[in-house]
Amino acid sequence: MGRATIALLFIFGAVPLAGDARSRLAGEIDVAGLREAVARERGHVVLVNFWATWCVPCREEFPSLSRLQERNRVAGLRIVGVSTDFEKQRPAVEKFLAERRPAFPNYHRKKGGDDQAFIDAVDPSWGGELPYSVLFDRSGRKVRSFSGKLPIASAEREIRKLLASR
Amino acid sequence: MRLFRSILVFTAVCALSAVALAESPAIGAAAPDFQLTTLDGKSFSLASEAKAHKAVVVMFISTQCPYSNAYNDRMRDMASAYASKGVVFAGLNSNKNEDAAKATSHAKAHGHTFPIMKDPGNKVADMYDAQHTPTVFVIDPQGKVRYEGRIDENYEDPAGVTSPDLKNALDSLLAGKPVAKTMTKAFGCSIKRV
Repeated sequence: MGRATIALLFIFGAVPLAGDARSRLAGEIDVAGLREAVARERGHVVLVNFWATWCVPCREEFPSLSRLQERNRVAGLRIVGVSTDFEKQRPAVEKFLAERRPAFPNYHRKKGGDDQAFIDAVDPSWGGELPYSVLFDRSGRKVRSFSGKLPIASAEREIRKLLASR
Repeated sequence: MRLFRSILVFTAVCALSAVALAESPAIGAAAPDFQLTTLDGKSFSLASEAKAHKAVVVMFISTQCPYSNAYNDRMRDMASAYASKGVVFAGLNSNKNEDAAKATSHAKAHGHTFPIMKDPGNKVADMYDAQHTPTVFVIDPQGKVRYEGRIDENYEDPAGVTSPDLKNALDSLLAGKPVAKTMTKAFGCSIKRV
């Protein structure tokens, strides 16, 4: 497979993350970085999922998010995970990712700054509870948020509607 | 704004299958009274405590929530520091998945000597429309709510706090001055309701 072909496959989302990448943090992220991450995916439908290793419902929904990503990758869904674990829990985050190998990139919230400001910048209606997911359409416009575990069936219907609109 | 907030709260409530249709008491309004038994078996009446103190800090707390636990030392230290100034701190555990035994051992482990109560059926959390742990309310001797929201803005780093909102509210109240910031948005784990 030539380099051009591989590049095209990445551009059109046909190639999932490499195994190693799945099991590592994609980096640290703050509000500006998160906005950039969403902006980089413009043209795709983006679901940002906030989670933590200590959050039982987050851990429970992780496999279903991976499956959601796999089912809709070619159509243009991009899931971005953000761990909100404390800095001291970073080893636990890395261990979790190594074990779960999610089908989407995951960042760790950058330490420092105003915690409330981060929460408010993500969504003014968010109170910090986890899991929490925010859905963006192909233009990068925030469509809606989900507090608690994602209702996969109804959320996927909504995602597919967004994927169908160009 | 109040309507907008209510809509948002309702959305969150639906998502969490929780039942909390009441609005939080407005700043300056009467704090909903409650009588409960503390973990060490004493009776606690908000109205009585308010009359007997210069302020009561009602805190919705959790034994498991990392956000709430991040404030364990700050709760302990503030309760101790303000006790001599006539302020009583009271912890309310409304989570259905944290029983009295857990709450008791948690309090002991973290040096929480202030009164702590289980809130059976999350009735008090509903009356105050408390959604997250930690959330605090400051009640004055007249039983009026003077502050509602977070303890401060930085759960992860106590040394990095730049907006000690609860402390500011208490200091203003004790000095007989108006509380400059009467409401902040509480953030943390959702209260696990019945």
